[in-house]
Amino acid sequence: MNIAPVIYRLLLYGYPREFRRDYGGEMQRIFREQYSDAAKTGNRARMRALMRLIARDWLRSALRERVDSVTHFISTARLSAPRGAVNEWALTLLIYLFASTTLVQAYVIPTGSMEGNLRVGDHMLVDKTAYGKAGALGRYIMPYREIQRGDIVAFRYPEDTKQTYVKRVIGLPGDRIRMSGKQVIRNGHPLIESYTQYIDPSLERDRDDFPLAPDRLTTPRGLDMFEHHLVNGEIVVPPGALFVLGDNRDNSLDSRYWGFVPRDYVVGKPLVVYWSFDAPTEDLESWNLAHIMDVGEHFFTKTRWERTLLVPRSAKAVEVGAR
Amino acid sequence: MYMRKTQAVSPDDLLPLTPSVFHILLAIVDEPRHGYAIMQDVMEQTNGALSLGPGTLYGCLKRMVASGLVAESDDRPEAMNDDERRRYYQLTALGTRVVRAEADRLANSVVAARSRGVLTTEGAKA
Repeated sequence: MNIAPVIYRLLLYGYPREFRRDYGGEMQRIFREQYSDAAKTGNRARMRALMRLIARDWLRSALRERVDSVTHFISTARLSAPRGAVNEWALTLLIYLFASTTLVQAYVIPTGSMEGNLRVGDHMLVDKTAYGKAGALGRYIMPYREIQRGDIVAFRYPEDTKQTYVKRVIGLPGDRIRMSGKQVIRNGHPLIESYTQYIDPSLERDRDDFPLAPDRLTTPRGLDMFEHHLVNGEIVVPPGALFVLGDNRDNSLDSRYWGFVPRDYVVGKPLVVYWSFDAPTEDLESWNLAHIMDVGEHFFTKTRWERTLLVPRSAKAVEVGAR
Repeated sequence: MYMRKTQAVSPDDLLPLTPSVFHILLAIVDEPRHGYAIMQDVMEQTNGALSLGPGTLYGCLKRMVASGLVAESDDRPEAMNDDERRRYYQLTALGTRVVRAEADRLANSVVAARSRGVLTTEGAKA
Protein backbone atom coordinates (compact mmCIF):
# COMPACT_ATOMS: atom_id res chain seq x y z
CA MET A 1 0.00 0.00 0.00
CA ASN A 2 1.42 3.30 -0.99
CA ILE A 3 0.46 6.61 0.51
CA ALA A 4 1.16 8.82 -2.52
CA PRO A 5 -1.99 8.03 -4.54
CA VAL A 6 -4.07 8.53 -1.41
CA ILE A 7 -2.61 11.96 -0.85
CA TYR A 8 -3.15 12.82 -4.48
CA ARG A 9 -6.76 11.74 -4.24
CA LEU A 10 -7.18 14.13 -1.33
CA LEU A 11 -5.46 16.91 -3.22
CA LEU A 12 -8.11 16.63 -5.89
CA TYR A 13 -10.55 18.17 -3.44
CA GLY A 14 -8.74 21.43 -3.98
CA TYR A 15 -10.41 21.59 -7.38
CA PRO A 16 -13.99 22.70 -8.02
CA ARG A 17 -16.54 19.93 -8.02
CA GLU A 18 -17.30 19.92 -11.78
CA PHE A 19 -13.65 19.87 -12.62
CA ARG A 20 -13.07 16.99 -10.25
CA ARG A 21 -16.02 15.13 -11.66
CA ASP A 22 -14.93 15.65 -15.26
CA TYR A 23 -11.21 15.07 -14.91
CA GLY A 24 -10.48 13.68 -11.45
CA GLY A 25 -10.42 10.07 -12.57
CA GLU A 26 -8.05 10.78 -15.43
CA MET A 27 -5.82 12.88 -13.23
CA GLN A 28 -5.52 10.13 -10.67
CA ARG A 29 -4.73 7.67 -13.40
CA ILE A 30 -2.02 9.90 -14.79
CA PHE A 31 -0.57 10.44 -11.37
CA ARG A 32 -0.44 6.70 -10.73
CA GLU A 33 1.29 6.17 -14.06
CA GLN A 34 3.81 8.93 -13.46
CA TYR A 35 4.40 7.66 -9.99
CA SER A 36 4.94 4.05 -10.98
CA ASP A 37 7.16 5.11 -13.88
CA ALA A 38 9.29 7.13 -11.50
CA ALA A 39 9.29 4.35 -8.91
CA LYS A 40 10.39 1.78 -11.50
CA THR A 41 13.56 3.71 -12.28
CA GLY A 42 14.44 3.65 -8.59
CA ASN A 43 15.90 7.10 -9.13
CA ARG A 44 15.23 9.21 -6.07
CA ALA A 45 16.04 12.49 -7.79
CA ARG A 46 13.43 11.71 -10.40
CA MET A 47 10.87 10.93 -7.72
CA ARG A 48 11.60 14.20 -5.96
CA ALA A 49 11.28 16.07 -9.25
CA LEU A 50 7.90 14.45 -9.81
CA MET A 51 6.70 15.42 -6.33
CA ARG A 52 7.81 19.01 -6.91
CA LEU A 53 6.04 19.06 -10.25
CA ILE A 54 2.84 17.69 -8.72
CA ALA A 55 2.89 20.16 -5.84
CA ARG A 56 3.47 23.11 -8.14
CA ASP A 57 0.88 21.88 -10.57
CA TRP A 58 -1.67 21.49 -7.80
CA LEU A 59 -1.10 24.88 -6.22
CA ARG A 60 -1.39 26.65 -9.53
CA SER A 61 -4.12 24.76 -11.28
CA ALA A 62 -6.40 24.25 -8.28
CA LEU A 63 -6.42 27.97 -7.66
CA ARG A 64 -6.85 28.70 -11.35
CA GLU A 65 -9.83 26.38 -11.63
CA ARG A 66 -11.39 27.72 -8.45
CA VAL A 67 -11.17 31.26 -9.69
CA ASP A 68 -12.44 30.11 -13.07
CA SER A 69 -15.47 28.43 -11.59
CA VAL A 70 -16.27 31.35 -9.32
CA THR A 71 -16.01 33.81 -12.19
CA HIS A 72 -18.16 31.54 -14.24
CA PHE A 73 -20.70 31.25 -11.45
CA ILE A 74 -20.88 34.99 -10.99
CA SER A 75 -21.25 35.70 -14.70
CA THR A 76 -23.98 33.12 -15.20
CA ALA A 77 -25.83 34.23 -12.08
CA ARG A 78 -26.06 37.59 -13.82
CA LEU A 79 -24.67 39.48 -10.93
CA SER A 80 -23.44 42.79 -12.19
CA ALA A 81 -20.04 41.72 -13.46
CA PRO A 82 -17.50 40.07 -11.16
CA ARG A 83 -17.46 42.12 -8.02
CA GLY A 84 -13.78 42.23 -7.67
CA ALA A 85 -11.21 39.99 -6.20
CA VAL A 86 -12.48 40.05 -2.63
CA ASN A 87 -15.59 38.04 -3.41
CA GLU A 88 -13.70 35.45 -5.35
CA TRP A 89 -11.16 34.99 -2.64
CA ALA A 90 -13.73 34.84 0.10
CA LEU A 91 -15.68 32.14 -1.68
CA THR A 92 -12.56 30.20 -2.54
CA LEU A 93 -11.50 30.35 1.07
CA LEU A 94 -14.91 29.17 2.24
CA ILE A 95 -14.81 26.22 -0.10
CA TYR A 96 -11.34 25.29 1.11
CA LEU A 97 -12.47 25.44 4.71
CA PHE A 98 -15.49 23.30 3.98
CA ALA A 99 -13.42 20.75 2.14
CA SER A 100 -10.85 20.58 4.88
CA THR A 101 -13.40 19.82 7.58
CA THR A 102 -15.29 17.15 5.69
CA LEU A 103 -12.29 15.33 4.30
CA VAL A 104 -9.65 15.50 6.92
CA GLN A 105 -9.77 16.16 10.58
CA ALA A 106 -6.97 17.32 12.78
CA TYR A 107 -6.45 15.22 15.85
CA VAL A 108 -3.95 15.09 18.65
CA ILE A 109 -2.80 11.97 20.47
CA PRO A 110 -3.40 12.69 24.14
CA THR A 111 -2.34 9.40 25.72
CA GLY A 112 0.47 6.93 25.36
CA SER A 113 -1.58 3.90 24.38
CA MET A 114 -0.07 3.77 20.90
CA GLU A 115 3.41 4.76 22.10
CA GLY A 116 6.05 3.08 20.01
CA ASN A 117 4.28 4.22 16.87
CA LEU A 118 2.33 7.31 17.84
CA ARG A 119 3.51 9.55 20.65
CA VAL A 120 1.73 11.78 23.09
CA GLY A 121 1.56 15.18 21.42
CA ASP A 122 1.51 13.94 17.82
CA HIS A 123 -0.85 16.21 15.92
CA MET A 124 -2.15 14.42 12.93
CA LEU A 125 -4.59 14.54 10.07
CA VAL A 126 -7.17 11.81 9.79
CA ASP A 127 -8.37 10.85 6.32
CA LYS A 128 -12.11 10.70 6.78
CA THR A 129 -12.75 9.29 3.35
CA ALA A 130 -10.40 6.32 3.60
CA TYR A 131 -13.04 3.79 4.50
CA GLY A 132 -15.71 5.25 2.27
CA LYS A 133 -18.28 6.33 4.78
CA ALA A 134 -18.90 9.64 3.01
CA GLY A 135 -22.31 8.56 1.76
CA ALA A 136 -23.20 6.59 -1.33
CA LEU A 137 -21.90 9.24 -3.68
CA GLY A 138 -18.48 9.45 -2.06
CA ARG A 139 -18.34 5.69 -2.12
CA TYR A 140 -19.02 5.69 -5.82
CA ILE A 141 -16.57 8.38 -6.78
CA MET A 142 -13.67 7.60 -4.55
CA PRO A 143 -11.71 4.45 -4.23
CA TYR A 144 -11.95 3.20 -0.69
CA ARG A 145 -10.91 0.08 1.09
CA GLU A 146 -12.31 -2.15 3.73
CA ILE A 147 -10.85 -2.04 7.20
CA GLN A 148 -8.27 -4.75 7.62
CA ARG A 149 -6.60 -6.39 10.57
CA GLY A 150 -3.51 -4.39 11.47
CA ASP A 151 -4.92 -1.04 10.31
CA ILE A 152 -4.63 1.92 12.63
CA VAL A 153 -8.03 3.60 12.88
CA ALA A 154 -9.40 6.73 14.48
CA PHE A 155 -12.85 6.30 15.97
CA ARG A 156 -15.31 7.81 18.37
CA TYR A 157 -14.85 6.27 21.78
CA PRO A 158 -18.00 4.19 22.31
CA GLU A 159 -18.37 5.14 25.99
CA ASP A 160 -18.10 8.85 25.19
CA THR A 161 -18.52 9.67 21.53
CA LYS A 162 -17.19 13.19 21.98
CA GLN A 163 -13.72 11.75 22.28
CA THR A 164 -11.72 10.37 19.40
CA TYR A 165 -9.40 7.44 20.02
CA VAL A 166 -6.74 5.86 17.87
CA LYS A 167 -5.98 2.14 18.13
CA ARG A 168 -5.01 -0.81 15.97
CA VAL A 169 -7.60 -3.24 14.59
CA ILE A 170 -6.96 -6.76 15.87
CA GLY A 171 -10.27 -8.50 15.25
CA LEU A 172 -12.87 -8.25 12.48
CA PRO A 173 -16.40 -9.64 12.70
CA GLY A 174 -16.28 -13.38 13.25
CA ASP A 175 -12.74 -13.42 14.64
CA ARG A 176 -12.13 -15.26 17.89
CA ILE A 177 -9.75 -13.38 20.17
CA ARG A 178 -7.98 -14.27 23.37
CA MET A 179 -4.75 -13.36 25.10
CA SER A 180 -2.53 -15.56 27.17
CA GLY A 181 0.41 -13.98 28.99
CA LYS A 182 0.44 -10.93 26.66
CA GLN A 183 0.27 -13.22 23.62
CA VAL A 184 -2.67 -12.47 21.35
CA ILE A 185 -4.27 -15.58 19.88
CA ARG A 186 -6.63 -14.94 16.96
CA ASN A 187 -8.75 -17.76 15.61
CA GLY A 188 -6.45 -20.19 17.36
CA HIS A 189 -3.24 -18.78 15.89
CA PRO A 190 -0.74 -16.89 18.03
CA LEU A 191 0.17 -13.55 16.46
CA ILE A 192 3.67 -12.25 15.97
CA GLU A 193 3.11 -8.52 16.21
CA SER A 194 5.93 -6.34 15.00
CA TYR A 195 4.22 -3.13 16.04
CA THR A 196 3.70 -3.64 19.78
CA GLN A 197 5.78 -2.54 22.68
CA TYR A 198 5.73 -3.92 26.20
CA ILE A 199 6.93 -1.68 28.98
CA ASP A 200 6.13 -3.93 31.93
CA PRO A 201 7.95 -7.24 32.10
CA SER A 202 5.68 -8.58 34.80
CA LEU A 203 2.41 -10.31 34.12
CA GLU A 204 -0.87 -8.89 35.29
CA ARG A 205 -3.73 -11.28 35.04
CA ASP A 206 -6.61 -9.10 33.89
CA ARG A 207 -4.47 -7.16 31.48
CA ASP A 208 -2.35 -9.88 29.97
CA ASP A 209 -4.73 -12.80 30.08
CA PHE A 210 -7.97 -12.14 28.33
CA PRO A 211 -10.87 -12.69 28.62
CA LEU A 212 -10.83 -13.77 32.25
CA ALA A 213 -13.47 -11.71 33.98
CA PRO A 214 -14.47 -8.08 34.15
CA ASP A 215 -12.25 -6.08 36.50
CA ARG A 216 -12.46 -2.63 38.05
CA LEU A 217 -11.54 -0.93 34.76
CA THR A 218 -14.22 -2.68 32.73
CA THR A 219 -16.91 -0.29 31.52
CA PRO A 220 -20.61 -1.05 30.92
CA ARG A 221 -19.95 -1.85 27.26
CA GLY A 222 -17.05 -4.01 28.34
CA LEU A 223 -19.39 -5.88 30.68
CA ASP A 224 -21.77 -6.40 27.79
CA MET A 225 -18.94 -7.92 25.78
CA PHE A 226 -18.05 -10.32 28.58
CA GLU A 227 -21.68 -11.20 29.02
CA HIS A 228 -22.76 -11.78 25.43
CA HIS A 229 -19.72 -12.44 23.30
CA LEU A 230 -17.63 -14.76 25.40
CA VAL A 231 -17.63 -18.25 23.86
CA ASN A 232 -15.42 -21.04 25.19
CA GLY A 233 -12.89 -18.68 26.72
CA GLU A 234 -12.67 -16.50 23.61
CA ILE A 235 -14.27 -13.25 22.59
CA VAL A 236 -16.08 -13.56 19.27
CA VAL A 237 -16.33 -10.27 17.39
CA PRO A 238 -19.95 -9.68 16.35
CA PRO A 239 -21.05 -8.40 12.92
CA GLY A 240 -20.50 -4.68 12.35
CA ALA A 241 -17.91 -4.37 15.11
CA LEU A 242 -14.15 -4.22 15.55
CA PHE A 243 -11.86 -5.40 18.31
CA VAL A 244 -9.02 -2.93 18.80
CA LEU A 245 -5.90 -2.83 20.97
CA GLY A 246 -3.27 -0.17 21.66
CA ASP A 247 0.27 -0.85 20.45
CA ASN A 248 1.59 0.06 23.89
CA ARG A 249 -0.03 -3.07 25.19
CA ASP A 250 0.83 -2.79 28.87
CA ASN A 251 -0.55 0.72 29.17
CA SER A 252 -3.61 0.87 27.00
CA LEU A 253 -7.30 1.02 27.72
CA ASP A 254 -8.82 -0.70 24.74
CA SER A 255 -11.33 -3.32 23.68
CA ARG A 256 -10.18 -5.49 26.59
CA TYR A 257 -11.84 -3.00 28.92
CA TRP A 258 -14.55 -1.18 27.01
CA GLY A 259 -15.58 -3.66 24.37
CA PHE A 260 -16.03 -3.40 20.63
CA VAL A 261 -15.95 -0.39 18.32
CA PRO A 262 -19.08 -0.26 16.15
CA ARG A 263 -17.97 -0.02 12.52
CA ASP A 264 -20.01 3.17 12.13
CA TYR A 265 -17.96 4.88 14.84
CA VAL A 266 -14.80 4.71 12.75
CA VAL A 267 -13.87 8.25 11.73
CA GLY A 268 -11.03 7.44 9.39
CA LYS A 269 -7.45 6.55 8.94
CA PRO A 270 -4.56 8.54 10.41
CA LEU A 271 -2.82 10.05 7.44
CA VAL A 272 0.18 12.00 8.55
CA VAL A 273 1.69 13.59 11.63
CA TYR A 274 1.99 17.28 10.79
CA TRP A 275 3.34 18.47 14.12
CA SER A 276 4.63 16.64 17.14
CA PHE A 277 4.98 18.65 20.32
CA ASP A 278 6.23 17.32 23.62
CA ALA A 279 3.45 18.21 26.05
CA PRO A 280 1.68 16.45 28.92
CA THR A 281 -1.66 14.74 28.43
CA GLU A 282 -3.69 17.32 30.39
CA ASP A 283 -2.50 20.13 28.13
CA LEU A 284 -3.44 18.23 25.02
CA GLU A 285 -6.90 17.32 26.17
CA SER A 286 -7.90 20.90 26.79
CA TRP A 287 -6.02 23.98 25.82
CA ASN A 288 -5.02 26.29 28.64
CA LEU A 289 -2.98 29.43 29.02
CA ALA A 290 0.04 27.61 30.42
CA HIS A 291 0.09 25.35 27.40
CA ILE A 292 -0.16 28.22 24.94
CA MET A 293 2.75 29.92 26.66
CA ASP A 294 4.66 26.66 26.67
CA VAL A 295 4.17 26.34 22.94
CA GLY A 296 5.18 29.94 22.37
CA GLU A 297 8.29 29.65 24.47
CA HIS A 298 9.47 26.20 23.49
CA PHE A 299 8.10 25.75 19.99
CA PHE A 300 11.48 25.06 18.48
CA THR A 301 12.94 22.96 21.25
CA LYS A 302 9.90 20.87 22.16
CA THR A 303 8.76 20.21 18.62
CA ARG A 304 9.89 16.74 17.63
CA TRP A 305 11.03 17.73 14.17
CA GLU A 306 11.99 14.22 13.19
CA ARG A 307 8.34 13.18 13.48
CA THR A 308 7.04 15.82 11.09
CA LEU A 309 5.30 14.26 8.10
CA LEU A 310 5.55 10.81 9.62
CA VAL A 311 3.02 8.41 8.17
CA PRO A 312 1.48 5.88 10.58
CA ARG A 313 1.37 2.55 8.82
CA SER A 314 -0.79 -0.50 8.87
CA ALA A 315 1.10 -3.64 9.80
CA LYS A 316 0.18 -7.24 9.37
CA ALA A 317 0.74 -9.59 12.25
CA VAL A 318 2.09 -13.01 11.32
CA GLU A 319 -0.32 -15.75 12.28
CA VAL A 320 1.69 -18.66 13.58
CA GLY A 321 0.45 -21.94 12.17
CA ALA A 322 -1.96 -20.36 9.70
CA ARG A 323 -1.75 -21.28 6.07
CA MET B 1 -20.81 24.07 -18.39
CA TYR B 2 -17.96 26.24 -19.50
CA MET B 3 -19.11 26.91 -23.03
CA ARG B 4 -18.36 30.30 -24.39
CA LYS B 5 -19.65 31.93 -27.55
CA THR B 6 -19.56 29.45 -30.37
CA GLN B 7 -19.57 31.74 -33.40
CA ALA B 8 -16.85 31.18 -35.95
CA VAL B 9 -13.61 32.48 -34.56
CA SER B 10 -10.71 33.65 -36.64
CA PRO B 11 -7.50 31.82 -35.66
CA ASP B 12 -5.74 35.14 -35.19
CA ASP B 13 -8.12 36.07 -32.39
CA LEU B 14 -6.67 33.30 -30.32
CA LEU B 15 -3.02 34.14 -30.83
CA PRO B 16 -0.58 34.15 -29.25
CA LEU B 17 -1.12 30.82 -27.58
CA THR B 18 0.43 29.98 -24.27
CA PRO B 19 3.29 27.49 -24.58
CA SER B 20 1.17 24.80 -22.89
CA VAL B 21 -1.67 25.17 -25.36
CA PHE B 22 0.68 25.27 -28.35
CA HIS B 23 2.54 22.13 -27.37
CA ILE B 24 -0.64 20.27 -26.49
CA LEU B 25 -1.94 21.06 -29.98
CA LEU B 26 1.30 19.85 -31.50
CA ALA B 27 1.05 16.63 -29.54
CA ILE B 28 -2.22 15.68 -31.19
CA VAL B 29 -1.53 16.87 -34.73
CA ASP B 30 -0.92 13.34 -35.99
CA GLU B 31 -3.41 11.33 -34.01
CA PRO B 32 -5.81 11.56 -31.08
CA ARG B 33 -4.07 10.99 -27.77
CA HIS B 34 -5.00 10.53 -24.13
CA GLY B 35 -3.77 12.69 -21.28
CA TYR B 36 -0.64 10.85 -20.27
CA ALA B 37 0.50 10.43 -23.87
CA ILE B 38 0.03 14.18 -24.42
CA MET B 39 2.09 14.94 -21.32
CA GLN B 40 4.92 12.68 -22.44
CA ASP B 41 4.86 14.08 -25.94
CA VAL B 42 5.07 17.65 -24.66
CA MET B 43 8.06 16.66 -22.54
CA GLU B 44 9.72 15.20 -25.62
CA GLN B 45 8.96 18.18 -27.86
CA THR B 46 10.51 20.58 -25.41
CA ASN B 47 13.36 18.40 -24.18
CA GLY B 48 11.85 18.42 -20.73
CA ALA B 49 11.63 22.19 -20.50
CA LEU B 50 7.85 22.10 -20.27
CA SER B 51 6.48 19.44 -17.98
CA LEU B 52 2.75 19.70 -17.43
CA GLY B 53 1.13 18.34 -14.32
CA PRO B 54 -2.27 16.65 -14.45
CA GLY B 55 -4.15 19.73 -13.22
CA THR B 56 -2.55 22.11 -15.70
CA LEU B 57 -3.07 19.64 -18.52
CA TYR B 58 -6.76 19.11 -17.93
CA GLY B 59 -7.35 22.77 -17.12
CA CYS B 60 -5.88 23.61 -20.54
CA LEU B 61 -7.83 20.86 -22.28
CA LYS B 62 -11.04 22.03 -20.67
CA ARG B 63 -10.55 25.54 -21.98
CA MET B 64 -9.39 24.27 -25.35
CA VAL B 65 -12.54 22.20 -25.71
CA ALA B 66 -14.63 25.22 -24.71
CA SER B 67 -13.00 27.42 -27.31
CA GLY B 68 -13.29 24.75 -29.97
CA LEU B 69 -9.60 23.98 -30.54
CA VAL B 70 -9.86 20.34 -29.61
CA ALA B 71 -12.61 17.81 -29.17
CA GLU B 72 -12.90 14.55 -27.37
CA SER B 73 -12.37 11.73 -29.77
CA ASP B 74 -14.15 8.45 -30.12
CA ASP B 75 -11.28 7.08 -32.14
CA ARG B 76 -8.99 5.04 -29.99
CA PRO B 77 -5.81 4.39 -31.93
CA GLU B 78 -4.34 2.12 -29.30
CA ALA B 79 -7.68 0.58 -28.46
CA MET B 80 -6.33 -2.94 -28.64
CA ASN B 81 -4.12 -2.65 -25.63
CA ASP B 82 -5.76 0.23 -23.92
CA ASP B 83 -8.35 0.95 -21.34
CA GLU B 84 -11.85 1.81 -22.60
CA ARG B 85 -12.51 4.62 -20.21
CA ARG B 86 -9.59 6.80 -21.19
CA ARG B 87 -10.43 10.10 -22.78
CA TYR B 88 -8.80 10.91 -26.07
CA TYR B 89 -8.46 14.36 -27.58
CA GLN B 90 -8.15 15.34 -31.23
CA LEU B 91 -7.68 18.56 -33.17
CA THR B 92 -10.70 20.29 -34.65
CA ALA B 93 -10.56 22.13 -37.94
CA LEU B 94 -10.19 25.36 -35.98
CA GLY B 95 -7.45 23.78 -33.88
CA THR B 96 -5.53 22.82 -36.98
CA ARG B 97 -5.73 26.35 -38.35
CA VAL B 98 -4.75 27.85 -35.01
CA VAL B 99 -1.71 25.66 -34.50
CA ARG B 100 -0.52 26.51 -38.03
CA ALA B 101 -1.06 30.22 -37.47
CA GLU B 102 0.81 30.04 -34.18
CA ALA B 103 3.70 28.16 -35.77
CA ASP B 104 3.89 30.85 -38.46
CA ARG B 105 3.84 33.55 -35.84
CA LEU B 106 6.64 31.86 -33.93
CA ALA B 107 8.64 31.42 -37.13
CA ASN B 108 8.31 35.12 -37.79
CA SER B 109 9.53 35.84 -34.29
CA VAL B 110 12.53 33.62 -34.91
CA VAL B 111 13.29 35.45 -38.15
CA ALA B 112 13.12 38.76 -36.31
CA ALA B 113 15.40 37.44 -33.59
CA ARG B 114 17.92 36.15 -36.12
CA SER B 115 17.98 39.40 -38.04
CA ARG B 116 19.08 41.13 -34.85
CA GLY B 117 21.73 38.55 -34.17
CA VAL B 118 20.31 37.28 -30.91
CA LEU B 119 19.83 33.72 -32.12
CA THR B 120 22.76 31.74 -30.87
CA THR B 121 21.56 28.22 -30.28
CA GLU B 122 22.39 25.58 -32.82
CA GLY B 123 19.04 23.89 -32.67
CA ALA B 124 17.20 26.78 -34.23
CA LYS B 125 18.33 26.72 -37.83
CA ALA B 126 15.95 28.08 -40.42
